[in-house]
Amino acid sequence: MNGAYLLSQVANGLILGSMYALIAIGFSMIYGIVRLINFAHGDIFTIGAFATLASIAVIQAPFPVVLAIVLVVGAAVGLLIERAAFRPMRGAPQVTGFIASLAVSIIIENLAVLTVSAQPRTFAVPAYLNRLIPLGGLNVRMIDIAIVLLAIILMIALVLFVRFTKIGVAMRATAENYDVARLMGININRMIGIAFAIGSALAAVAGLMWGTKYGQISPLMGVLPGLKAFVAAVIGGVGSITGAVLGGYVLGMAEVLFVGLLPPEYSGYRNAFVFGALILVLLVMPNGILGRSTEQRA
Amino acid sequence: MSAPRNTFLPRFAIAALVGAALVALADANLNPYLLSIIQFIGLNIILAVSLNVTNGFIGLFSLGHPAFMTVGGYVAAILVIPPERKAALLPDLPAFLAAQEWSFLPALIAGGSVAALVALIVGFPVLRLRGHYLAVATLGLIFIVQSFAVNLRGVTRGALGLSGLPELTNLWWVYLFCLVTIYVCWQLKHSSLGRTMLAIRENELAASCLGVKVARMRILSFVLGAFLAGIAGGLWVHLVTLISPSSFSFILAFEIVVMVVLGGTGSITGAVLVAVVLSVLTQLLRPVEEAANLFGASQMIVAFVVLVVLITRPKGLFGTAEPDLVGWLLRPFRKSKAA
Amino acid sequence: MQNTMKRLALAAVTSLSAAFALPALAQDINIAALYNVSSGGLTSLDVPSLQGAQLKAKMINDAGGLLGGRKIVVTAIDTKNDTGETATAAKRAVSMQGLVAGIGQSDTTFALAAAPLFQTAKIPFVTSGATSPDLPGMVGDEMFLVPFGDDVQAHAMAEYAYNTLGIKTVAVWTDNAMDYTTGLSKYFKERFTALGGKVLIEDVYTTTDQDFSAQVARLQSTEGVGALFASSGPDTAGIIIKQVREAGLKLPIFAGDGFDTDLIVTVPGKELSDNVYFTTHAYVGLDTGPANEFRTAYKKEYGKDPENAFAALGYDTMGLVADAITRAGSTDPVAVTKALAETQKYDAVTGTIAYPAGKRVPSKPVAIMHVEKGTVKLDTTVTPKG
Repeated sequence: MNGAYLLSQVANGLILGSMYALIAIGFSMIYGIVRLINFAHGDIFTIGAFATLASIAVIQAPFPVVLAIVLVVGAAVGLLIERAAFRPMRGAPQVTGFIASLAVSIIIENLAVLTVSAQPRTFAVPAYLNRLIPLGGLNVRMIDIAIVLLAIILMIALVLFVRFTKIGVAMRATAENYDVARLMGININRMIGIAFAIGSALAAVAGLMWGTKYGQISPLMGVLPGLKAFVAAVIGGVGSITGAVLGGYVLGMAEVLFVGLLPPEYSGYRNAFVFGALILVLLVMPNGILGRSTEQRA
Repeated sequence: MSAPRNTFLPRFAIAALVGAALVALADANLNPYLLSIIQFIGLNIILAVSLNVTNGFIGLFSLGHPAFMTVGGYVAAILVIPPERKAALLPDLPAFLAAQEWSFLPALIAGGSVAALVALIVGFPVLRLRGHYLAVATLGLIFIVQSFAVNLRGVTRGALGLSGLPELTNLWWVYLFCLVTIYVCWQLKHSSLGRTMLAIRENELAASCLGVKVARMRILSFVLGAFLAGIAGGLWVHLVTLISPSSFSFILAFEIVVMVVLGGTGSITGAVLVAVVLSVLTQLLRPVEEAANLFGASQMIVAFVVLVVLITRPKGLFGTAEPDLVGWLLRPFRKSKAA
Repeated sequence: MQNTMKRLALAAVTSLSAAFALPALAQDINIAALYNVSSGGLTSLDVPSLQGAQLKAKMINDAGGLLGGRKIVVTAIDTKNDTGETATAAKRAVSMQGLVAGIGQSDTTFALAAAPLFQTAKIPFVTSGATSPDLPGMVGDEMFLVPFGDDVQAHAMAEYAYNTLGIKTVAVWTDNAMDYTTGLSKYFKERFTALGGKVLIEDVYTTTDQDFSAQVARLQSTEGVGALFASSGPDTAGIIIKQVREAGLKLPIFAGDGFDTDLIVTVPGKELSDNVYFTTHAYVGLDTGPANEFRTAYKKEYGKDPENAFAALGYDTMGLVADAITRAGSTDPVAVTKALAETQKYDAVTGTIAYPAGKRVPSKPVAIMHVEKGTVKLDTTVTPKG
């Protein structure tokens, strides 16, 4: 074990954490407003990856255009799902929404299997993204730096948006107290729509990153990252955007270090570790690191 | 509405006898593949009705059934495999396990018991959680159990799973455990214990004010559900003839929960009916799917139906009620007598 | 509500009775083919295999069928990349009327899910691509392999690495979620260390992993590793190459026939898919009669060259079963099993198949393929001794 090894593992954790954080934000925003755990969120991540594939392979768009397309596709799918599946059952028990989101998830996954087949697919990344850059004894690829920077820029933009714009204030008010916000004349449907659109767009960008980094995408790729991002959101404190970001990085880092620092025979327990951590956090800090106690969980 | 308790036993006995006749008929005439489909339907009934105890009666939203099925399945399989095959399949098995060769019924019950034990241990911390959080924690339980099944290679053969298990499960075993499950759950629901559970679901605070030991009741229902799920796991494993860590995934959890929710949380009749209809629907769509080369279409259609039902009947088909099916089936005969 | 239920019941009854009437004309020769065609990385092996098998059946039928004009009917059943589905598919297959034999699967774990049910039903199961030499021992006398065993290909790789390439130290990565990969690693290490080589580090992962950054970092920090032996199925083959190369590691990567998929080039891209060696079933360099006939026929039928050696294996499997049926002179599964076990010399595309003295794993040549800048070329063909 040496310094460079540790450093490269930390870099890996940072990259994985950036992607978890982007997905977790959506979970948190949606939960914060409608108290819905949206299991279809991981599938929007998948859709983002396939939108990337399509825009690179079919129309050969340059990378910034691809990014824009993925953001728009993600937001559109998020809005569509909210309108078609979740709005009609608003007001039903929490569990109903949860099951509905699982149903939506299964529909999207199988639709993807039917249309693009379940075979893993690959896409070519522009060569400049694959360039190796020496960075303090480490060889880091351009794409890795791009992932971390892009994630940070998007997250800062979101925080500024929520804090300082009129819509952002209205969204926070809705999350604070749904009924009072409605009485104050805030258009609740619009706020929910915006939360779905932003959250989904970010998850789709995470899909783009995942696909470019790992190079292979398939219709079911979103299941596990989606669930883990949810764990990240809970660790950070569901409902809090900064909490989701923090949770994402904590989880990404912990997961990579778990595999990297322990002897190889334990790396198989990777998923058990993630979900074990979830249960532990729920029991010890039911509101997560940054969540406020707004309701009873335990 | 719900059948009064005193008419339950005779009706149950009649239905059980009619069912036994049908089972005998099917057993004698159908090919093994069709029989195995019917057995899968029976297993779904056991799973849906037993999950109903936790999710329906007491209102704990658990997704943990696949975890308990995995535990029950492995325990039953390891106990049943003859020692000489164990030596080839699992050379690193601890000696006290390697020598065991149990017959089917005790192995099933052992599987259920170990699953119940796991539920008891896990239940103490996890059942403090509510709603979504409990759902996610139990979902996590599936992944944790899976991880252990993958990594405890000496006992489970890891991700490779145990294959070539004896085909011990038949329609009679499945039918027997269906009857046991329905009987136990029905009697529970209509006992004072069951009423207490329903009271907790409706208003926990009021129930605890009346002196109900809420925590104890929760554990009890969780453990009972896990026991039955463990037995279903053992039956499944000896029907399919193999078990691997991915045999029981969270997709299965979704399918079972859907049966409970669509049937109406708390309604045993509803759970049974929806379990049958959904399993038959899936099986009917399968040949269509293969002929049209549209793999995945059947799951999609089922999920779509679920969405539509959730939107149009958010309380499920029957709510908590138990519609009088036997009476409904017999009605045409009564009418013709009267005429 | 009541009407709906009546209608549902009616629908159930109608379809069940339809299921009873599964047609099986006495004239036809029924073969069930169990493959993962709809999901998972194994599709890149299973689909070519199934196409190869269907092609051979079509060619036999066009040439007048078997046993005096009876046609082969191949029923393909999708096993959905799930062992439970595989066992259910096997149950369904053995319930078919007049089934003569089952064929299929490119992976040992899946073959192990299906074959025991054929064994119980006393119907032969011939796998086209599952390579564990332990399969016949674990399943029984109805289990036959068309490919060579993993011991043969892993030993060939170890010898090639040590003797020809002069590699003395390796790192071994194993997918511990597959029987195939765990066995392959075992045989490779056994031969490589016997030759005098050293295994410096070992790492494990599972088939569904996509992030190998921790393993790559560990590989990078270990001094003196001459090469990486990646015991992997097709799901992770391309990802491993990509992530190892992207970290700037240039060392040779060795693998088994799980790498015989186009994913090893498409995932990392031509530039990174370099300095990779893998073993597979020989046919590419073979200029024999059957091999040329197969290549021409495949291209004519599907409009492209065979994707990989698994297309040839599927073709050979159907050919072997047809040969056994002809020798048995009957479609009785017991007679066909007997004829299969007595196979002395069947000239297949991938080499000659013979099952000497109760051994139901053929000894066939191993092709060692070399990937250079995205181009897969035959390096050499090794014929096992004995």
